[in-house]
Amino acid sequence: MKKKKYALECKNLNLWYGENQALYDISMKVIKNKVTALIGPSGCGKSTLIRCFNRMNDTIDECKVDAELIFNNENIYSSNADVVKIRRKIGMVFQKPNPFPKSIYENIAYGPRTHGERKKEKLDKIVKKSLEAAALWDEVKDRLQKSAMGLSGGQQQRLCIARALAVEPDMILMDEPCSALDPIATTKIEDLIDELKKDYTVVIVTHNMQQAARISDYTGFMYLGKLIEFGETRKIFENPDEELTEKYIMGRFG
Amino acid sequence: MTQRFVQELKKLKSDVLDMANLSKEMLNESIEALKTQDVSVAEKVISQRKDIRVYDNQIEDDAKRLIALYQPVAKDLRTIITILKMNTYLTRIGIYSKDISRDIKAIPKDNGFPRLKSICLMGDLVLDMLDDVIKAYETEDLSLIEDMGKRDDTVDDLFFTILRECISYMIENPNSIGFYTHYMLMARYLERCGDHVCKISEKLNYMITGERIIIK
Repeated sequence: MKKKKYALECKNLNLWYGENQALYDISMKVIKNKVTALIGPSGCGKSTLIRCFNRMNDTIDECKVDAELIFNNENIYSSNADVVKIRRKIGMVFQKPNPFPKSIYENIAYGPRTHGERKKEKLDKIVKKSLEAAALWDEVKDRLQKSAMGLSGGQQQRLCIARALAVEPDMILMDEPCSALDPIATTKIEDLIDELKKDYTVVIVTHNMQQAARISDYTGFMYLGKLIEFGETRKIFENPDEELTEKYIMGRFG
Repeated sequence: MTQRFVQELKKLKSDVLDMANLSKEMLNESIEALKTQDVSVAEKVISQRKDIRVYDNQIEDDAKRLIALYQPVAKDLRTIITILKMNTYLTRIGIYSKDISRDIKAIPKDNGFPRLKSICLMGDLVLDMLDDVIKAYETEDLSLIEDMGKRDDTVDDLFFTILRECISYMIENPNSIGFYTHYMLMARYLERCGDHVCKISEKLNYMITGERIIIK
């Protein structure tokens, strides 16, 4: 059997918001160049977990994480980890499209420029490449200097994905990227995710179980801060091991 | 919406049970007609063919609707897929029962050729198998169907015995060829019914455990 390559290994992750423990002893391995979906009822900790993967939770004052998260042979949570570098290598896309109130071009060029890229030709190339990878280039190539705010919701979301791709990450985290979009825009993002896994590892949080079943290779089911079951998506949706998982995916919860 | 889905799935499951009982009734009556030579019973079975068709179409439509509207997963999905397959197998059993009844009607009476008792025994075995698989579906008790393969082997053995027997009679008296051809066909229909019961058993195992087994 071919040995699986892991993009990220999460070992015994515990997380507290102040006094309240929100995540309990989570261990999972995110496989490289695959799409991993996290599902579970609201408040189960999916978003909290995905936000640990690039230390976005650092921005929350009272949030405390105790974990070993191995990414590129380094522990993301070690005291000497370079958070800026981690967030460049592990990009994130949020539920609501959040483009900068700038031109389409600037939205993409902003990241690489912050990381020191000054040459215009190089930036032009990055902008084109990123927009192409996010399946947006054809729709916006004639109006790159127009404001990103004028794009539709679905286009804005793909712009955000392009923006994440511009800094050449290894992994992209998506926190319900389609929940604010209409069905057509959703289909486009789903197709895009399928394309992206050729070059990137994708972790997606979704409330839409059919979406998880469609686009992901691996699925984790979370409940009350615990990872109840993690495995191949097909297995999880056809014949899960845990009764709780089955109840949740069949909609027989509570 | 879950409530409605659960209700509708429950109804679908009970419709298949009704259909299964109709198939069983048809098979039972066709075997009765075989034993008693009662043409009126055979005619009743033939008339029930259309009822099987009504179930067939209705169950397929309802299953399709449930899949399209609720996108079921896990055991719910396995149940619906199993129901769709059972629908086909049960339809076949109903049609074979009708075919047996047609043969019974076509067999000339009192022509002096010995009738085959073993075909009645074969019919009873298949009927018992069908009865158990329906019970297993109703109760999800897999122990009822665990020896289906063996039971079907016995049915198959009987089938070949009947074929040989018929051929011997045919060679003995070529005038009996028409008569025994009916018996060969009926034996074949019963043998097919046994296979369909085995297929239903396989699907039931899949529905309940998620694992696939091979019986036949």
